[in-house]
Amino acid sequence: MMARMRTKWPRCPFVLRSITAVLMLAACTRERAPEQVKQPAATQLPAAGSPRATAPLPAEDGQWTMPAKDYSGLRYSQLTEITADNVKNLKPAWTFSTAVLRGHEEGPLVVNNTMYIVTPFPNLLYALDLTKPGAPVKWSYDPAPRSEAQGVACCDVVNRGPTYADGKIVFNTLDNHVVAVDANSGKEVWKTKVGDINTGETMTMAPLVVKNIVLVGNSGGEMGVRGWLKGLDLGSGAVKWTAYSTGPDSSVLIGPRFKPFYPKDKGKDLGVSTWVGDQWTIGGGTVWGWITYDPQTNLIYYGAANPGPWNPDQRPGDNKWTSTIFARDPATGDAVWAYQMSPHDLHDYDGVNESVLVDVPWKGQTRHVLLHPDRNGYLYMIDRTNGEVLSAQPFGFINSTAGVDLATGQLKYVDSKHPTLGDVVRDICPAAPGAKDWQPSSFSPRTGLLYIPHQNLCMDVQSVEANYIAGTPYVGMNVKMKAGPGGNRGVVTAWDPVNARPAWEIKEDLPVWSGSLVTAGDVVFYGTMDGWFKAVDARNGKPLWQYKTGSGIIGQPVTYRGPDGKQYVAVMSGVGGWSGAIVAGNLDPNDSTAALGFAAAMRDLPSKSTKGGTLYVFALP
Amino acid sequence: MDRWTDGPARRILTAGVLTGALLFTACRREERRFRELPPSTTPTTVRVSALQPGTMVDTMHVANPYENNAYAQTEGQRLYNAYGCVGCHANGGGGMGPALMDDKWIYGSAPENIYTTIIQGRPNGMPSFAGRIPSYQVWQIVTYVRSLSGLTPAGSRSARTDDMMMYDGSQALPKHVAPKQSFRPPASEMP
Amino acid sequence: MLQVNQSVLHAAGPRAASTEHLWWFAFIVAAVVYVLTVGALFWAIASARRREREGELRPEHAHDRMTSGVGAGIAASVVILLVFLGYDLSVARTRDPVPKQHPVTIEITGRQWFWDVTYADTSPHGRFTTANEIHIPVGQPVLFLLSSSDVIHSMWVPNLAGKKDLIPGYTQSLWFQADTPGVYRGQCAEFCGEQHAKMAMEIVAQPLTEYRRWVASQSGPGAPPADSVTKRGQEVFLTGTCAMCHSIGGTPAGSHVGPDLSHLASRRTIAAGSLPNTRGNLAGWIIDPQRIKPGAKMPPNMLEPKDLDALLTYLQSLK
Repeated sequence: MMARMRTKWPRCPFVLRSITAVLMLAACTRERAPEQVKQPAATQLPAAGSPRATAPLPAEDGQWTMPAKDYSGLRYSQLTEITADNVKNLKPAWTFSTAVLRGHEEGPLVVNNTMYIVTPFPNLLYALDLTKPGAPVKWSYDPAPRSEAQGVACCDVVNRGPTYADGKIVFNTLDNHVVAVDANSGKEVWKTKVGDINTGETMTMAPLVVKNIVLVGNSGGEMGVRGWLKGLDLGSGAVKWTAYSTGPDSSVLIGPRFKPFYPKDKGKDLGVSTWVGDQWTIGGGTVWGWITYDPQTNLIYYGAANPGPWNPDQRPGDNKWTSTIFARDPATGDAVWAYQMSPHDLHDYDGVNESVLVDVPWKGQTRHVLLHPDRNGYLYMIDRTNGEVLSAQPFGFINSTAGVDLATGQLKYVDSKHPTLGDVVRDICPAAPGAKDWQPSSFSPRTGLLYIPHQNLCMDVQSVEANYIAGTPYVGMNVKMKAGPGGNRGVVTAWDPVNARPAWEIKEDLPVWSGSLVTAGDVVFYGTMDGWFKAVDARNGKPLWQYKTGSGIIGQPVTYRGPDGKQYVAVMSGVGGWSGAIVAGNLDPNDSTAALGFAAAMRDLPSKSTKGGTLYVFALP
Repeated sequence: MDRWTDGPARRILTAGVLTGALLFTACRREERRFRELPPSTTPTTVRVSALQPGTMVDTMHVANPYENNAYAQTEGQRLYNAYGCVGCHANGGGGMGPALMDDKWIYGSAPENIYTTIIQGRPNGMPSFAGRIPSYQVWQIVTYVRSLSGLTPAGSRSARTDDMMMYDGSQALPKHVAPKQSFRPPASEMP
Repeated sequence: MLQVNQSVLHAAGPRAASTEHLWWFAFIVAAVVYVLTVGALFWAIASARRREREGELRPEHAHDRMTSGVGAGIAASVVILLVFLGYDLSVARTRDPVPKQHPVTIEITGRQWFWDVTYADTSPHGRFTTANEIHIPVGQPVLFLLSSSDVIHSMWVPNLAGKKDLIPGYTQSLWFQADTPGVYRGQCAEFCGEQHAKMAMEIVAQPLTEYRRWVASQSGPGAPPADSVTKRGQEVFLTGTCAMCHSIGGTPAGSHVGPDLSHLASRRTIAAGSLPNTRGNLAGWIIDPQRIKPGAKMPPNMLEPKDLDALLTYLQSLK
């Protein structure tokens, strides 16, 4: 018996060792190494005297007549009274309360010594007389939009501002009307209904007028809305053409002039064949962002938003033409080229951000490009004559994709960050608002830098099934956002297009949801969501001045020359928008998925900013 | 007869009867009624204001037929997700629509108030679901909505789900003192 | 199309055939062993009683005989079990992997209590969705990708293959082939709630040309209304409770809570095989589904008689 027992034992340690080894190996494979991560290239100032990006400038008239001041989207003023040296003396000159307490994403216009402001819902239009002290209201116009429209606006009831052309102020209302008002008298000239809230459509974007065509687009990619851009006649308000973002070529206005650069964007009726059945009719691709125009190429440039629903498994296929940059003829709407940045988008990466038109020395030639900081985190530099992507470098932290293949134009998705039905996928960067959302950048031909206000957020998602019921949300995703690497939720990046990397960066605690403004005095202005209006040196990002306004700033700063010859800087203060929805909508942060996940990342906002609605105008004493 | 009434047998029998009775008390929590009552439970007078000109009459609150019912509450949750409520109100935190898990009720938190809000819609963007959702399903949704802010008995509330954690810390609904049923439109908002 | 007897012993395809053969083999071997065992038992009893009657002593070496008898029994059992194991393994090896040529891929999502069926295609535009009734071409292997949106279900078409679970959050695959045309009934084989018993499906195996014709008819949107009554029916559908849960291609109805109805009129049954697809049954189902399938997610719909009539006309036009 003893002999038998002794022969048993030597086997056990071997078995034990093998089992332990196997378990250790199993533990090793549990954590996979992170996928190809993308870091923005190190900040570096461009060398003095090195070639830089430029842009032709219209003559400076001291006014601000369209949302980005000029057709190229530069948001650059040639006024030089305020400089990096004296901006520290800037003081508030006067203020104006809009009587509305929702998110103020708009920027004021200044035309003929009158300032024009369009408020968030109910979209009141104010004309302020700058010739009188304190800028009293000259007249106001109430378009009386339907209050039910508030129920189908995904991201606070904002309005991104009016535009001016031919003696008329033109703007959009939340309930899908385009309105033209006489700039002097305030009388309505025409009002055209272009959409229907019962399909989930609203309008929030700032129109652009090119050659007497008013260009407007809809919102509603989270509501199963089919996106479009329309051209209306400036004189009568009649719709002259409609260019849809999905559907057959005939409705996308793709015809013989259409020459996309990449093979992946070539083919017939791709706006139908890259969708299942008739899902393109509820496919998204709304046009709620910025439009720029190049008189040389005679093309307008704009982007289409995300496909719907957010749950990608419900819409197999490339889902054209969502998340796409279009170049169109403004008179007819005909598409001349298009580039789809995020085919079969997985993370709500809309393509609607601004395309700033500059000329860049690139590989020994001067190229006429557009600079497009996209939601997906890449700063696209695209030849605006033909749609060729010259470079696509990350301007924020990205792990959801592994780069853009410049040969094919294809975005390379990372499989481990693909949302799966019922599963939770964690730490997807950038989050749904992207590395940058709608907030527009500005460009200075003096420094050659693009000043990008943006955010640094990541998210956890769980995709669920979405049911399409017209007029209700069509999303299919539970989202929870959080700060990205480094913990700062906001960034201002000065991007050097020639070297395709940041020149300098400013980290902010809260997402920088306001637009930026740059002047010939080498000052960059932007606002933070806790109410600080800041001025920094355009050359190196050094903070120069700041002023605490009454509420968070998410609007577009502008600068103008007043009737007295002084330079003024104006910005709206009133927090809200998608990032500030927790305050504007009184949301409850106990639910991390509130406001499509943004509330989770902004739990501290209610303690840092209350609601507001005030215009602040600053000047040197 | 004696065998069943004497000594240990009697104790066992008593214990068995009591256990059986105890088990039956759990049934009401999860009673599943598939064919619902006719509209007599639909409220007729619903007040959205506490002001009454002249002498006050006590507001008659309609009893929610599903208040204690766990099955109805989980059905309410299923319908809340399927019919798009989650798209505007998230999982109670709000978004396009107001938060449902806090104690601010613009149009009232009584069951009949929530019922009429869903059926009639509201001018600031709540769609009207009359004719789209059957009455008993609306009551189920009412039950779930009230549970989001802790207004339903704790016993019928569902336990944690397997989904992404919506709420920090424990998966259970946040505990707070049950708010009085009230109307509290946010200041300076239109009703 | 004749409905084939739903039985494991009526195999109509190679997978079910191998299961059937295995079953018969096991049955026969077990029967033989049973007969031999019982026979040996009777013989032992008879033999002992005879010895008792005749007063014989237990034979010598009885202990050895018993040992060798037990040993023989154990050896025989081991041999038979090994034969079973070998046959079973060889049958199992023929089932997986999926044969390389599978022209038809069908994604099935189990829902309480119906089968949500999507025919996959290389291009997204070729995909289409239907419910409960699955057509396949005869003589070709078909691959099914199985998942569930709520609880665990199980797909079982006894004439064609064994059971495979549909597990939420997980995609399983199952392939089989039908060698003779016919209608094969299948059902859910994993308890999934109140109406598990009435969650049936029909596999309709057709010759290739008929199958292609069916696919072409199912791919398009639901037929648009042709006359005023049908138009009114579509209005009733879209403005009432129906569009909250059902989808019909070519209309704004796009909800996935209930089955897709774009081609409802082309199906043989409704309510996951519970009722033949006739106007009367459809009317009863719409008015009060809880009478037929208590606990089903579809609520009763008290429609006005004229509205119900128009709705039925519209639904019956969706071929």
